[in-house]
Parts: sequence; C-alpha cells; structure tokens
Amino acid sequence: MDSSTASILVEVFFETIGYWYIIIPTILLGLIVGGIPGFSAANTIIILMPLTLALDLQSGLVFMISLYCAARMGAGIPAILVNIPGTAGAAATPLDGYPMAKQGKGQQALAISFVASCIGGLLTTIIALATMPILARVGFYMHSVEMIVVMLFGISLIASIAAQDMVKGLIAGFLGLMIGSIGTDVVYATPRGTFGILELYDGVPLIPALVGLFAVSEAFVIIEKRVIVTHEGEPKAPNWSDTFEGVNIALKRWVHIVWTSIIGLVIGVIPGAGASIASFVAYQQSRSFSETPELYGTGHPEGLIAPEAANNGVTSGTLVPLLVLGIPGGATAAIMLVVMQFHGVSFGPSLFEDQPKVGYGMFMAMAVSYVIMFLTILPLSRYMSRVTTIPTIYLAPMIIAFTLVGGFVPREYMFDMYLALGFGVLGYIARRTGYHVAAILIGVILGPLLEKYFLWSLKKSDGDIMVLFSSTLGNILWVAFAMSIILPIVLGMRRKRKLEVPAE
Amino acid sequence: MSMKQTINRRTLLGTGAAAAALTLATPGLVRANTFPDRNFSVYIPTAEGGGADRNFRAFSSVWKTRLGVDFEPGFYPGASGRVGYEIYMGKAEPDCYNLLFGNVGPEVLNWALQPPTFGIDDYIYFGQVDKDPCCLFVGAESPLQTMDDIFAASKTRKLNVGTSRMAHPASIGLLALGDKLGVDFNLIPLQGGKGTVAGAVTGEVDFSVLTSGSVIAAGDSVKTLLVFGNNIAGEALDNAPSINDAYGMDLPEMLSTRAFGIHQKAIDDFPDRFEVLTRTFKESHEDPALMEAYIATKGQPEYLVYAGVEELAVEKQAMLDLGAEYKALLTGA
Amino acid sequence: MPSDHHKPPRQIGGELVIPILAVGFTIYFFSTIWNSPWTAQVSTFMVGGILLLVCAIFFVRAGIWLVRGEGTLGVGNLFTMDDIRTGRIGLLLTTIAYVMFIDTLGFTLMTFLFLAVSMLILAKGKNAGFITMVSAAMALTGWAVFIWAFDTRFPRGWFETTMKAVLANG
Repeated sequence: MDSSTASILVEVFFETIGYWYIIIPTILLGLIVGGIPGFSAANTIIILMPLTLALDLQSGLVFMISLYCAARMGAGIPAILVNIPGTAGAAATPLDGYPMAKQGKGQQALAISFVASCIGGLLTTIIALATMPILARVGFYMHSVEMIVVMLFGISLIASIAAQDMVKGLIAGFLGLMIGSIGTDVVYATPRGTFGILELYDGVPLIPALVGLFAVSEAFVIIEKRVIVTHEGEPKAPNWSDTFEGVNIALKRWVHIVWTSIIGLVIGVIPGAGASIASFVAYQQSRSFSETPELYGTGHPEGLIAPEAANNGVTSGTLVPLLVLGIPGGATAAIMLVVMQFHGVSFGPSLFEDQPKVGYGMFMAMAVSYVIMFLTILPLSRYMSRVTTIPTIYLAPMIIAFTLVGGFVPREYMFDMYLALGFGVLGYIARRTGYHVAAILIGVILGPLLEKYFLWSLKKSDGDIMVLFSSTLGNILWVAFAMSIILPIVLGMRRKRKLEVPAE
Repeated sequence: MSMKQTINRRTLLGTGAAAAALTLATPGLVRANTFPDRNFSVYIPTAEGGGADRNFRAFSSVWKTRLGVDFEPGFYPGASGRVGYEIYMGKAEPDCYNLLFGNVGPEVLNWALQPPTFGIDDYIYFGQVDKDPCCLFVGAESPLQTMDDIFAASKTRKLNVGTSRMAHPASIGLLALGDKLGVDFNLIPLQGGKGTVAGAVTGEVDFSVLTSGSVIAAGDSVKTLLVFGNNIAGEALDNAPSINDAYGMDLPEMLSTRAFGIHQKAIDDFPDRFEVLTRTFKESHEDPALMEAYIATKGQPEYLVYAGVEELAVEKQAMLDLGAEYKALLTGA
Repeated sequence: MPSDHHKPPRQIGGELVIPILAVGFTIYFFSTIWNSPWTAQVSTFMVGGILLLVCAIFFVRAGIWLVRGEGTLGVGNLFTMDDIRTGRIGLLLTTIAYVMFIDTLGFTLMTFLFLAVSMLILAKGKNAGFITMVSAAMALTGWAVFIWAFDTRFPRGWFETTMKAVLANG
C-alpha cells in the first residue's frame, strides 16, 4: 500500500466516523428488520429506496452498508433465542445457538454470536480491503464444477447430523433434497413436482420452509414446558457476568472465528454464492476438524461461532466482485449497484482509479459499522435474552403469528403462509418421530443450488459426467472433501480407542 | 441531476421525518373523483437490481410527476418471468391501477414455448420505455477477443455460450449465427443478466449473449463483438458490427423491449382511465427530464424510443412467430 | 441392533409417516418429469432413487421389528390424549383458522383473535384480561409495522379500512 492510498484511507476513516448520526439509527433499524423473519436488508433498502436516493452518495452508501451488516447480525438474535432463523444465511445459527438458549445460556449465546459476527466481519473487511485484487480472482477459478464440491461440503452435514440413525437421517436429508427440487428445471424451465401451483414454479421459497420447519414446529413442542429454558437452566436475574462469559468464550476461540470467517469471505466473493452456503460449509468444516464433534448440535459454542463468523464474512466478500469487477455478488449488492449508478458511479476495474474514495469508503463504512455495532449491541444482550423466560403459553402463539407473517413478507403471497404452516406440520411430525428437521432443511436450502451447478456442468460438457473431475482446482477440492469426510471418522475411532481403555 | 439533493446532519432528521410522513400518508393525496386517486401497483416479472429495475425507476420518476401518485413496484421473478405474468393476470384487479412492466422480447417468447393459463390476447403492451438490441460479448480477459477467434475456436470444440435464459431473443440470435456459420454452440442459461455477464467475465462460459443495455452497464469488464440488430450505441458497444452486415444475413432485430402492459379488460371497462395512462405516458416520454433520469441510471440515450399500442402488438406477434420456429431447440424437446 | 427389553415397544406407526410421505411424493414427482428433457430428470431421478432406496431399507427394518415384536404400529409418539389436554390440538386448530380467515377478517383483527384465543386455550382460560391486552398490543404493533409503516400487501379487513379512513381524515 503506497502512501497516497494510506492517506486516502485515513481521510475516509475520519469522514466515515463523521456519519455516526446515520450509522447508529441505521444499526438499530437493521437489527430490527434483520430480526423479523423475511425482512432482509435487501427488502428494506428497496422499501426505503426513495430515501436512499435522496441522500447524497456518501450518506446513501454508509446507510446501505450499515443496514446490511446490522440486518445480518440481527437475524441471529431470534435464531438463537426462539429458533427462528429469519434468513437463509442464519439457517445454521440455531443448530447450536438455540440449545444454548434452552440451557439458560441465551445471554452467553448472544454475546458469542455478536463477538463472532463483529470480529469476523471486521477482520474479513480488513482482509478484503488489503487483498481485493487477488480475492476478486477467486471467481475466475470457482466455476460450476468447483461449486458442486463446495455445495457437497455443506450437504455432507446431513450425514453427520444423522449419525445416530443413519437410515432415518438420510430419509430426512433426501426428502429435503427432493422438496428442494420442486420448481422449474434450470436449463429448459420445465415445471416439476409443483402440484400445478404457480407459486412453486420458482422452487420452494426459503423463508416459509425455514420458519415452518424450525420455528412453527418448535412452538408446538415447547408448550409442554412452562418456559423455553429447561428447569436446571432457569436463568438468574439479568447480570453482566453472563455477557462477559460469552465474550470470553468467543475470544478464547479467536482462531476459530478467524478461519470460519475467511471461509465466509472466500465463498462471499464468488458471484452468486451466498451466506447460506457459507454458513453451512463453515459449520461442517468446524465440526470436521473439531476435537469434540459429538457436542455439535447440543449447544456447542464453536457450532455457533462458525456460521455467524462465516455469514458476516460473506457480507464483506460480496463487495469485492461488485467493486473490482462490477458484478454484484448477491441481492443486496445488486441494489447497491442500482443506487450507486443513480449517482453516476460506475463500478468495475476503473473504480479505484476514478473514485478511490467511493471504493475504500464502502469498506470503511463496513468496518466502522461493525465497531459501533459491537459497542451498542453487546450491552443489550442481557435484556434480549429475557425472551426465553416468557411463559410458553404466551410465547408459542406469538412465535407462530410472527413466523407465519414472516413467511408471507418476502414474496407477499398468501400461499407462502399456508406453506409455512405445512412445513410446520411436517417439522412437528419429524421431531416427534425422530427425524432431524435440520437435515430436511439443509436439503431444501442447498439442494436447488447443487442441482443448478450440477446441471450447468453437465450442460457444458454435453452430458459427460466426467466433467466433475475435469479441473485441477476441482480435483483438489474433491480430495479435501474426501479428507473432511474420512478424517473425522479416523479421529473419532482413535479417540474412542483412547477413551475405551480406561473406561472398560 | 434534478432529483439529487444534498442532505447534511441538520436536515437529515427533518427530511427523514418528512419522507416517512409522506410515505405513510401518501393515500392522503386524494383528489376526489379523478384518476388516479391512489398509487399504482406495478408487477415486474424479474428480480430487483436488474435492468428492468433501473428502467422502471427512471421512467416512473418522471411519470409520477404527471399523475400525482407514485408507482409501487412488486418484483415477481421466477420461471422466466412466467410467474409475474400469471400473478398479474390471475390476481391483479383489472382496474387500470395495476400495471405490468415487462419485456416484450424474452417474456413473450415463453408463450410460444409453453402457453400460459390466460389468453395471450388478454393483456396488451401500451407503452415502450426503451428497446435495445441483443449482442454477443466476451469477458475483458477472455482468450477470445474477436469474432475470428470465436470462429477458429468453434472449429476445435463446442463453445459454451452464456445466455440469460433459453427462451430469449439473444439465444435465437446466437442459434441463427450458428446456422449461418455451420457451427454448433452450446447455450448455457445462467439465470439473468447478472449471471450472464459474470459467466463471461469469470470464464464460466466462453462468451455470452445478452441485451446490450445490460452489457453497456457492465462497463470495461466486457467487450462486445457483434450486435443482433443495429448498433445505434456505437462506441458504447465497442463499435461492434451488426450481424446482418458482418455475415450478410437478413435476421430481424433481436430486441429486448421494456414496456408497460395492462389487462385488456381494464381498457374495455375503463377507457377514460386508459386514455389518461397512454396520454401521460407519451408526455413523459417527451419530457427532457426523462432522458436525464434515464442517463443517470446508466441507460443508453439512443435506446430511449417511444412506441405505442400498435407497434408493440406487431412486435409481440413477431416474437410469437420466432418462438414457434425455434421451439425445439429452446425447449430441449 | 440390540433392543432394550425394559423399553416399551417402539411406536413404528408414527415413524412410518415421514417415509410414506416421502415415497408418495417421490412417485408423484417422477410422474411429472417422465416425459421431460434430461436436464429436468437427471438429478431428481438420482436423488429420488436414493430416497426410495433408503425408505425401502427402513420399511424392511420396520417389518423385522414388527415380526420380532420389538415394535408396534402405534402412533403414540406422534399423537396422544395429552395433546388435547395441553392444548396442542387447540393451538393447531387456531393456527389453521389463522391462515384460513386472515383473508376475510384482515391482518390485524385476525392476528388479535388468533393470539387471544390460542393463549386462552393454552392458559386454560386463566388471565383473560391480561391475555386480551397482550394480544391487542401485539396485533396493533403488527399493524403499525407491516400495514402502516411498510405498507406490505397483507390482507386488509375491517380494521385496516377503518384506520385508513381515520388516518386520511384525521
């Protein structure tokens, strides 16, 4: 970095800090809309588009970026406390976050999630800023063949989740994949398995499936208990020490935050890939290389850190192809592009020469947002976690209303409310009869993406299946994938042998 | 730029509150017994953030000043735009308050390949915002930098060509080119303009075909080699020649035409309302502010061309005919 | 698999619901793509084939348990009389009513009714005053956020129309 870049960065930093009066209210707004299922950052920016366009370039940019970051973080809050992941990016968060809340550690879980999100987001922002030209190249190597393997990393989670009863786990996972196949095919747009329902042509909408399987079904289960928190985990009066304990737990695992957020960053820079892929892949990687894989899904801090650090890594990653190549990586980035173009900024290779302050400004806004967010949200966790102590007779109907409404919001089809209810019933049956809803969900979320990349690869090779092994990077990923499947088994066997000797 | 205004900290709260109040109380702008007395809902059958989004915002920003009410877009992507049309025709009240903002090119092509549940003549397009020819382009770093490179490479292997979707005029343009050159191109539908540009830039495909408006918006990261129509944009499309000039063909222009549409029933039931719509639409088209807004959203000035009910009906029919001709290739049947 | 003789026999009837649904759905799915281009078929035939296979394995396994007397076709894990006592069935019915009638009654009113009735069922009629207040507050907040502020396309009913008139004139 030469001195002129450094001076631009310093200048932009102070300018961005000067926008605190936009950043702070936007963060609060972002946390709220992020927490409402279905109300993504992208939706909110669209709704507030007239306001955004009326702001000057720099203010509009700061507004959109801090909203984006805050919404990402906000989505984790209901995912942890009441098992409602509001966006696909937060779908892996409740796997370990919600069990923690049930154990009365909601406050710690929130603190862990905030620390992981902020450090992950801040760190990847800095890395992205420093290595942007190199990172932008990732998209040039990660084509459909390579993405198939990346998707398989995530999908292989089905098998690990299903470990206790493989047959039932696979039934759940493959049922999810089958449900995920509903909709028109990627190439010729032939409708499949849609029951003739128009609203399913575009595939099963994610939010209704997500909230139905996780939250609606859970609402029917929790009414057996007085409160969400189990009896032994009955929380004490609100206190600071739980928050600090959570911060401490997260900070001790800083290495974990670093590498899972980098997974998010790398997946985020690939145009078209998104937070849902990143968080599942990060969770799977985290579990594969863990000393204690059996703890995942029971409220293990690392199982919460991985998806939260990763999905915030994606946030900074999506800016890279937007700024360097002019290609928006996701929905929010696409809307940013529209707004920026309205102000006459053209993205692409020339941006950093013509208007370096815009390019650096976006990263700086992200970094400053994360810092301010950390300071404002952490103290709130002690109050938020009280949700878990509301008696379930009140909480369960609220969860149902809230989630059915959330199912409606993204597309505003009444059908989606029915769908959320349908998935709720399916999820309830699955829970009561020992099938994993998480396995179904992974299939529903990642299945369509896997099929898309698979069909592109096959179409490109005229149907030759060997195309899957046709690229060097792809083959390296295949080996890594095989390793990440085999290694945990080997490690597990070794650990078991060690444990068995003294036990028997 | 007329709409742009600078806001500092002191005015932010005031403006924010005013904007909020305005948004919340918009129905309050009631003018008794006049049309329109409430906001329009516009059904857009593609995803937000794309070319349709940009054009819609530019045009409605001018149109709304003439009508005194706002346009609220709803994006209904899915099944190549089919979902948006089905919902518009099936669920939107035919009262002239619900409009469609579609693309006469690729979207009408759908009906030729697989008929919709409603009658194709039950809706019409009444106002063209802009039209742009499709084109063929490569990524800036692609090893293929000229049409000769592409021709040479296509002799050694089947080239993969990104397109937004199979049923798209750009795909037809490419198939026609393949027929003429005697080479087989492999079309890969990359689901939308963003993916199609990204595919060519990152090397997922050898090159791509797309509506030229989106290609121009992609800037330096791509290079246009051939236009499936007349290159009225010149420099912006790297002075690429037209397919007919370059290869001695007489292919009709492969256009992407963004236009507002409406239920035929709404026209029949409320002819006076429809008259207001068509009149103010035309006036807006002549307003210099439109050109300003259009350019501000990266529109290509040459593409901003008005067309009315008759011209659009002709184009709709032309698309249906082309679709019937290429049906087998585009549906994999 | 060694069976634990102290446990009551496994309730296989309930466990069969998901696989039976899965098989039915897969067969239906296949019927919709039978004459489609290969791109529509290739991955779904693969996924569906595996799903049918694992379901078949489960059916065989369930059959063996039944024959050995280690399981019954009971559905006790899915549905018991307890579900009526705890109000779960009541909650399910109110939820179904919520999505069915929201179109006619409108978002705000139906949300209020759903919350109030569900909470009353779960609370077995206690605290009616408090429940009414909480439900009204929630429904009004929902109205303020989704209808008033964000203007989403939630179904409008009597309450929304009245409020709109009040706001427009007031």
